[in-house]
Amino acid sequence: MGVVQYVAKRVATYLAVLFIGLTITFFLPRLLPTNPIDSYIGQIQSRAAGMLTPEAIASLRESLQQLYGLKGDLLSQYLGYLNRVVLHFDFGPSFAYYPAPVSSMIFTALPWTLALLLISTLIAWVIGNAVGVVAGYFHTKRWATVLEIVGILLYPIPYYILAVSVILLLAYVVPVFPLSPTFPVGQLTLPMVGQILYNSFLPALTLVLAGFGWNILSMKALAVATTEEPYVTFARLKGTSHGTRMIRYVFRNAMLPQVTALALSLGMVFNGALLTEILFSYPGVGLLMRTAASNGDYDVLYGAIALSIIAVATAGLVIDLVYPLLDPRIRRA
Amino acid sequence: MAKPSRYLMAPLLAVLLMGGTSIGAHAQDMTDVGTPRNQTLVVQTFDGKSANPDDQNPLNSYAIWHGFRELGWSYLWEDDTSTGKSYPELADGMPQVLNPEHTKFRVKIRPGVYWSDGVEFTTDDILYTLATEFKYKDKLTNVATIVNYIKPDSWKAVDKYTFEVETQKPAYDFVQVMGVYTWASAFIPVPKHVFEKQADVTTFKNQNPVTLGPYTVKQYDPNGFWQLWQLRDDWQRSGWGNLGQPKPKYVLYKDFGAEETRTLAFVQNKYDEDTFMSPDSIQAAEAKNPAIQTFSPTMPFNDMNDACSYGIYLNQQRAPLDKPEVRWALALSIDLQTVGITAVNGEFKAAALPLADTPITDPLFYKPLLDFLTGLKLKDGYQPFNANFGSDLIAKLKDQGMDDSMLPTGDAIKAGFGQGWWKYDPAEAEKLLNSVGIKKGSDGFYTLPDGSPWTIDFVFPSDWNKVMERVGFSIADSWKKAGFNVNARQVDNGEFTTVQNTNSKLQAMINWSSSCTYNQNFLNSWRSFTPTNVKDANSNDPLSGNYLRVTDQKIFDLVADATKQETTSDAFLKDGQQIAQELTSGMQLINLMNIPTTIPTNSYYWKNYPKADNFYAAPYTWWSSFKKTIVNIQPTGK
Repeated sequence: MGVVQYVAKRVATYLAVLFIGLTITFFLPRLLPTNPIDSYIGQIQSRAAGMLTPEAIASLRESLQQLYGLKGDLLSQYLGYLNRVVLHFDFGPSFAYYPAPVSSMIFTALPWTLALLLISTLIAWVIGNAVGVVAGYFHTKRWATVLEIVGILLYPIPYYILAVSVILLLAYVVPVFPLSPTFPVGQLTLPMVGQILYNSFLPALTLVLAGFGWNILSMKALAVATTEEPYVTFARLKGTSHGTRMIRYVFRNAMLPQVTALALSLGMVFNGALLTEILFSYPGVGLLMRTAASNGDYDVLYGAIALSIIAVATAGLVIDLVYPLLDPRIRRA
Repeated sequence: MAKPSRYLMAPLLAVLLMGGTSIGAHAQDMTDVGTPRNQTLVVQTFDGKSANPDDQNPLNSYAIWHGFRELGWSYLWEDDTSTGKSYPELADGMPQVLNPEHTKFRVKIRPGVYWSDGVEFTTDDILYTLATEFKYKDKLTNVATIVNYIKPDSWKAVDKYTFEVETQKPAYDFVQVMGVYTWASAFIPVPKHVFEKQADVTTFKNQNPVTLGPYTVKQYDPNGFWQLWQLRDDWQRSGWGNLGQPKPKYVLYKDFGAEETRTLAFVQNKYDEDTFMSPDSIQAAEAKNPAIQTFSPTMPFNDMNDACSYGIYLNQQRAPLDKPEVRWALALSIDLQTVGITAVNGEFKAAALPLADTPITDPLFYKPLLDFLTGLKLKDGYQPFNANFGSDLIAKLKDQGMDDSMLPTGDAIKAGFGQGWWKYDPAEAEKLLNSVGIKKGSDGFYTLPDGSPWTIDFVFPSDWNKVMERVGFSIADSWKKAGFNVNARQVDNGEFTTVQNTNSKLQAMINWSSSCTYNQNFLNSWRSFTPTNVKDANSNDPLSGNYLRVTDQKIFDLVADATKQETTSDAFLKDGQQIAQELTSGMQLINLMNIPTTIPTNSYYWKNYPKADNFYAAPYTWWSSFKKTIVNIQPTGK
């Protein structure tokens, strides 16, 4: 298969995934047992102490359908949605927080999510794989077993327990970090960056610890298997050093599935980290989606989920395009 | 050669420590937002994190939370939540009624009130607000009450401080709709000189708004976690400057996150007043910090003065719940003492009538109807009321090892645990069910009269209302033990509203929306009991009110009569008492308990919060009456 054909096939698959994903995103929230207009009218009626007459409610319903873009049959709403999303990347206004535009809500939350999750995912990946390859390459040594035990201990701890333990230890027993962050406002300055890092340290630490264990264990298993490969034995007989064999022969071959996992993890970053956001009062996309789902706020759900679909699909496309560069076997195939 | 990692890590650590140091240095006596802690009242936000903190336009929805309602806005009339009586705030006295139909009103406003930017507040602002609400009623999302209450184009200025306005229908509750009823007002005046300059008031965000209240927004978190208010230099000429000196220079509303972290922050004196905190967390916090106090030093410890009460709403239009025998059977199968002990450690106040039993409603409804309750007989002559509910509960709590000093005695028992509730009597429940053909099947669960299985779909909030969630599971357990096959479902608030509004989706749910009566004006809750708010038993169309599914013509007539009475008159109250009796004798609402709103406080930096023995206002930081707390609290000097 030629390069052009290979790339064209991947890009076509990518576009098909996006189309199907965006379509499902449109229809899925409508299966929720929640009607955003009814929810909103319920709130207003409660505030109005039941004073709104059925006629007034009918008129309000009409206005809200107009404002929320829910007028017309499902097909015309769907076509309108595709038109807005695909051509203008516009998800309309939030239903629950009208007239706030969905895009501004998402783009306020997104930098926080990306900063926290990208950094913590990368750190957990780099440290976990580094420890894992050492533990796997030297798996016959006792000290290497200790490294593996770190992974075995961390991996099964439920995230909630891990996070609360970290909070208790570093924000209560030894209160060096805040229990709930207070992010500063205004122009970004160096001290402000310091405050943001300081306030983000605990959530980031818990995410690194949570991701770290799996990376150690999986890389160690891959490294042990790779160490037994004939080409590693051949390299050893050639007289190469441990460092060369571990990095160039074992790590390079063992990391392929880890790169795939990393890319998918990075794509998933756009979903946010709901539990982290709740426990650490951290602003992000997870809380936004949670609130939108409970309020039946379709537009916010569309925006957040569509972004996630695009991110995961793009990560998949990037893996497909980058893989041949990492693995000569795929290039030759 | 230096390792590259040193170059990478050194600046990172330096920046991290700088951030830590700057905040750490503040930690002793400054808040996280840089204000002196002993000049700042810090409160947990009621609505958690705001999703749209930039939108501070009160004509749209958000700008009622995070202090807007309490500190930023001001109203024509305010509610004294310690008595339930209205008093003038921006208005200069009560309105003058201009016609016998009670639809025309003349209102005077106080001269000498100024917006925070120094412009005087006049009737121009009132008339502009009304006109704008009507002009953009299809786009503004917080104006529905007023545009359905006030007659269009009926307002006019008499002079700079007097205006006249008409209502669409006879309005005996004018003061409580145009002013505050319990927690909020539907009418929030906006500054004409600011709003009229906007190209589009419907999308105008009104960030850092010009306020009538004595505080202005100093800073807010664009992520919605906190908002800082600062006292105006000219607070005396603000909308409620005549109420007294607001004590804190700053008020910080902040979401301290999940209950786990909130409790720890409370122990660390990071904030002063909470909203709902579970009894377990409060106990843990009290044990660690003596400055943390509950609303009352004895059981039931927590504040029980919310306007609403929790109850079980049944779809009494659908069989078999359309039969009073079945509804009574469900009530008599609830072991409310056990439910209360399991769900809220016994810290609750039972309420048998369809409204909360508070110091304000007790003399209006509960005491006058006590004879009705004790003398109430079901068709078979059974008397269901247990007037010794509180004493029985105390005995149970003693059996469980609760210290005597924690328990109320004498009159305080009824003040704490209520006038009584229904007996727990599954045997009588079975008798009632058998009388309408409902019998237990071989599996021990009741079946329908035709022998088919009967499962009750029982809906209650998930963790967005932890008290109701716990009460819900506990009641489901009580019913199961009595032989009802219950499908207990905890739902998000979106689905909760859908079930509440839709006949086809409701069998039974825990709710509070139709039992919110703070004072004599019961219409706030029961106004919607009208034939127009009745839909087919299995309808999918949403209801606009009447969530109890009342179809009783006698109640409709009483409501219609009440709308023609002065809300403060004896005749009006009599109607309310009769509605309460009708709802109760037919068990049209299994009312359970006052809403236990807990409201623990921390007196490390501030003292003299509203408490059971110092009830100068309802203690809620998210009600507009929080202004009373603001002027009554005192710094401790720490």
